[in-house]
Amino acid sequence: MKRKKRLQDLIGWLAPFFGLILVLAIFSSIPEIQDRFLRIANFKSVATQSVIVALGALGMTLIIISGGIDLSAASNLALSGVIVAYAISAGIHPVVALFCGIVTGGLIGFVNGSLITSLRLVPFIVTLGMLGIARGIAKWIAGNQKIDAPLTWVNELMTRNPRPSWLLLAPGVWLMIFLALVMAVVLRYTVFGRHVFAVGSNEAAARLCGIRTNRTKIMIYSIAGLFCGLSGVMQFSRLTVGDPTVAVGLELDIIAAVVIGGGSLSGGEGSILGSMIGVFIMAFLRNGSTMMGWPNYIQEIIIGAIIVVAVSLDQIRHRRER
Amino acid sequence: MKIRTLIPFAIFLCLLVLSCGKSEQSKSHQDETNKLKIAVIPKATTHEFWKAIHAGAVRASRELEVEILWKGPQREDDRAQQIIVVEDFISRGVNGIVLAPLDDRALCRPVQDAVRENIPVVIIDSALQGEDHVSFVATDNYKGGVLAAKKLGELLRGKGDIFLIRYQAGSASTTKREKGFFDTITAEFPEISLLVQDQYAGSTTETAFQRAENLLSRFPEVDGIFCPNESSTFGTLRAIQEAGLAGKIKFVGFDSSVKLVQALRGGHIHGLVLQNPMKMGYLGVKQMVLYLKGQKIEMRIDTGVYLATRENMDDPDIKSLLMPDLSSYLD
Amino acid sequence: MQQNQPCPILLQMKNINKSFGATRALDNVDFELKTGEVHALLGENGAGKSTLVKILSGALKQDEGSMLLENFRHSPSSPLEGRKKGVSMIYQELNLAPHLTVEENIMLGKEIHSWGFVQRKEMKRRVRDALELVHHPEISLDIPVRKLSIGARQVVEIARALMEKAKILVMDEPTSSLSQEDSDLLFQIIKKLKVQGVSIIYISHFLEEVQRVADSFTVLRDGKEICSGNMEDTSLEELIQHMVGQKVKEMFPQVEHTIGEVLLSLDKLMGSKMQAEVELNLHCGEILGLAGLIGAGRTELLRTIFALDSVEQGSIKVADVRFSKGTPWQRIKQGMGFLSEDRQREGLALSRSLTDNLTLSNFSPYCRFGFLGLKKRNEAAQDWIQKMKIKARSPEQRVFSLSGGNQQKVALARLLHQRADILLLDEPTRGIDVVSKSQVYEWMGQLASRGKAILFVSSYFPELLGICDRIAVFYRGQIIDIRPPSEWNTESLMVAATTGKAL
Repeated sequence: MKRKKRLQDLIGWLAPFFGLILVLAIFSSIPEIQDRFLRIANFKSVATQSVIVALGALGMTLIIISGGIDLSAASNLALSGVIVAYAISAGIHPVVALFCGIVTGGLIGFVNGSLITSLRLVPFIVTLGMLGIARGIAKWIAGNQKIDAPLTWVNELMTRNPRPSWLLLAPGVWLMIFLALVMAVVLRYTVFGRHVFAVGSNEAAARLCGIRTNRTKIMIYSIAGLFCGLSGVMQFSRLTVGDPTVAVGLELDIIAAVVIGGGSLSGGEGSILGSMIGVFIMAFLRNGSTMMGWPNYIQEIIIGAIIVVAVSLDQIRHRRER
Repeated sequence: MKIRTLIPFAIFLCLLVLSCGKSEQSKSHQDETNKLKIAVIPKATTHEFWKAIHAGAVRASRELEVEILWKGPQREDDRAQQIIVVEDFISRGVNGIVLAPLDDRALCRPVQDAVRENIPVVIIDSALQGEDHVSFVATDNYKGGVLAAKKLGELLRGKGDIFLIRYQAGSASTTKREKGFFDTITAEFPEISLLVQDQYAGSTTETAFQRAENLLSRFPEVDGIFCPNESSTFGTLRAIQEAGLAGKIKFVGFDSSVKLVQALRGGHIHGLVLQNPMKMGYLGVKQMVLYLKGQKIEMRIDTGVYLATRENMDDPDIKSLLMPDLSSYLD
Repeated sequence: MQQNQPCPILLQMKNINKSFGATRALDNVDFELKTGEVHALLGENGAGKSTLVKILSGALKQDEGSMLLENFRHSPSSPLEGRKKGVSMIYQELNLAPHLTVEENIMLGKEIHSWGFVQRKEMKRRVRDALELVHHPEISLDIPVRKLSIGARQVVEIARALMEKAKILVMDEPTSSLSQEDSDLLFQIIKKLKVQGVSIIYISHFLEEVQRVADSFTVLRDGKEICSGNMEDTSLEELIQHMVGQKVKEMFPQVEHTIGEVLLSLDKLMGSKMQAEVELNLHCGEILGLAGLIGAGRTELLRTIFALDSVEQGSIKVADVRFSKGTPWQRIKQGMGFLSEDRQREGLALSRSLTDNLTLSNFSPYCRFGFLGLKKRNEAAQDWIQKMKIKARSPEQRVFSLSGGNQQKVALARLLHQRADILLLDEPTRGIDVVSKSQVYEWMGQLASRGKAILFVSSYFPELLGICDRIAVFYRGQIIDIRPPSEWNTESLMVAATTGKAL
């Protein structure tokens, strides 16, 4: 009996991996691209491509667990990238510029959280507004065009061929892995993590238990904002220019990753591991489809289908448990 | 009850199978392994212009017996997405990449990556900074702008108020057209004044439509308008028509599509600057193949600009540019 | 006789006023609590009990008035501050986070941590102790609360309140979803706490229960304090009189009704969540009571009949038509109506208006070519509000702003509106005041007299004995015995429900 339960736990824990393994298995079984798909260089490049969405998804996981949503993530990311480019091209030291970008992201998140709690508005509305505001500010600062910043070491954060070569992966990828571990620990082993789940599961109960729900929410949105800021830095590092029009609609990819990874839009559920797997499922699909030369619409259909299938499988699993 | 829940799943599966089946078909005829594989990466996939480039590339692939892989960024006009496509083709290990870069700078790094992996790159349509690519096949956009300015100046008899509606910030090719236009107007037509010259139409017809509508309601007295690409031209055309000013405002656009050709015939558009996208796609692939075969190729190839008006639109040369017959190349 | 000296006053609330918009929830209420006493707070629904304790706990702020706790000014700005000062609450509606585990719920808001990292081991030890204290050490610490039964959740909630070193523990209807066994357990815990010097404010509608546990009482009516005193010196009738402000003629009004033919019969019915087969006949004009402990399978039976859970085997026969599988929609067409025990989650659309809720299951009288006649609908709703004596400003008022008893009346009114012939009522009187209860009994009698058949699930034996024509006792999913109420009494029902043996 107990053994059976343990087996079930194991299956529950492994379930998110199945999707990823399935995607990998499908593409590596196609002879045309098999050898190329399975090369380490390809995995390296997919990892680098995933960093931007993954960093966004780390913050979005927090928000979705707490029962909220952040539609402004991609705009926030674009704004932060533009700020970094602007600062560097204004001759500010790259470290300070980088810091400015991240703080900008955090600030936008803080404003989101404050508006949600003080005006008692639904996160959907507040962040929908912020989606436009942040994008607008980004275009304004950039003077409605891209900003060409001089090349600095910031642009080495996301290269496919990092120097020194013993790094193997780009610094940005290592940062992503490190932060994912940190966030997983935070969610599982800290008081703050528990409060995030409590707020998402039953906000009224959390408040009555003396959790300062407003403070918790503001923290959640601020942290998510910081992640968007960092993501924006990475985006800038990759583009080498500050582009206010970049990542339009990327927030939906980020949300999809979290949802594929088991996050529930009604709150209380979700995990960092799941979200990261969601990110990689989408990244490998994109990678594989490009290699196959499939047109974009195929890819869009497949990813759409995966969202529906992943969430319904998750539902079925939950129903079994009950 | 169970059957009922299965139905949507079944429909779902059918859709998937259908879509996959369709893609299988489209690539079945190119399933030979010894051919050279050349990736052609446009800026977008849905505009007429890019379809013509696609057709040109297909024509070259048939003539030269190579395989082309046609793939644009997943979100149109997204620099970051285009970088990912280039990287994925590098991982895929193609023989060469023909790229229309969305940004003259952001795409430098991926192109360098390709060169490092011994994949040569031919740039088409818009310029790229640096010297990493083997050839650059494009319209002389500045010349296109000059051509448009001369036509508009002539239409207005050197006098009046005009709009220069720009396309989008950071797009190199359209910026050059805009510059060519602007330089020519200010230098050669001192009595023409630009009412608007820093408004951007945005990436879609819809954004262009809205922008032009707003401008027209603010300056209904405008005499002439120039737009630097297909989507901005069409969006602006719609706005002019909606405002009931069609024909009254002298309108010069860029590129062609079915609707634009109709408007040209109907007198709503007075001139269209045409490029030769099919030639661009064709030469892009051809240059790549020549390079791969070890022949020496030119660094810069101009595919030319042409002006279509109501008078010359039925000349066979212009007609083939206005309404290129793509059907034999694209299915 | 040292012990019988009057205890020192622990809490004093003076001239408390509180208004919500135009309604005056509390009107100059005074309240005193002594150290180590159980003080019952009585009153009908909407009398202001919940408002008063919310002010005490810090969840609400009074408009006027002052509070003294151990002779110090007490004005908590939040439940957290209230709790830090020693006032803990067990709320009427369950307040747990469903996705969190038992341990996480109990420790919520008071996690033990160093540098923000939770000290799991230490917390688990404490939680285990707390569950030990409430005699439920079998509850696993690591399962999410949503997988627990309602009774077990209540236990978790009590354990959570006990974790605090509370001076005052407020219990708002703590037994409303507990089985008799668990209730008895709670009373034992209360006794223990009393010995430790904890004062308890006890809010309940079960007056017998209140008489058992409380030392003193305060009665509120319409936001005013009516009287307070020692429980021992006051009779049940007096209490009821204070609460309702008039003499109650009879708790269980009898309405003449005659029992007719069999309307619903269950033939070896077994649902996906039922523990055993059930065979039962229900007649026209009959009120059949289903007694038993929480979790005995009565709710599951009703849900299976109403097709909310799937039928595994056996069949249901309504007026000679036999069927097994179906959907709630079909059941409604067949003339059934179901009242869920969980009115917050299943019974009502809380954010919609009274009208919407009342007419939800039967739009057809107001429907013309698919369009709703809104005015007609409102009139009908107004009608029901008067008939059911629902305290509401207008039919447009949203249901969540009504008190618990009035919400329940809305849910009941919908069934009546739906014109069901077979009524499946699951705990229809839970959490509603004495007067409303009495009204509910009267309606049930009237419905029976009109030939409707009623299955009535209740955990409150006196009401079963008072109004049923027959009472069936459930024990672990099976019917032990069915007899007319004259052959049962509270004790024999208790024995049958707890042991499975009919005396």
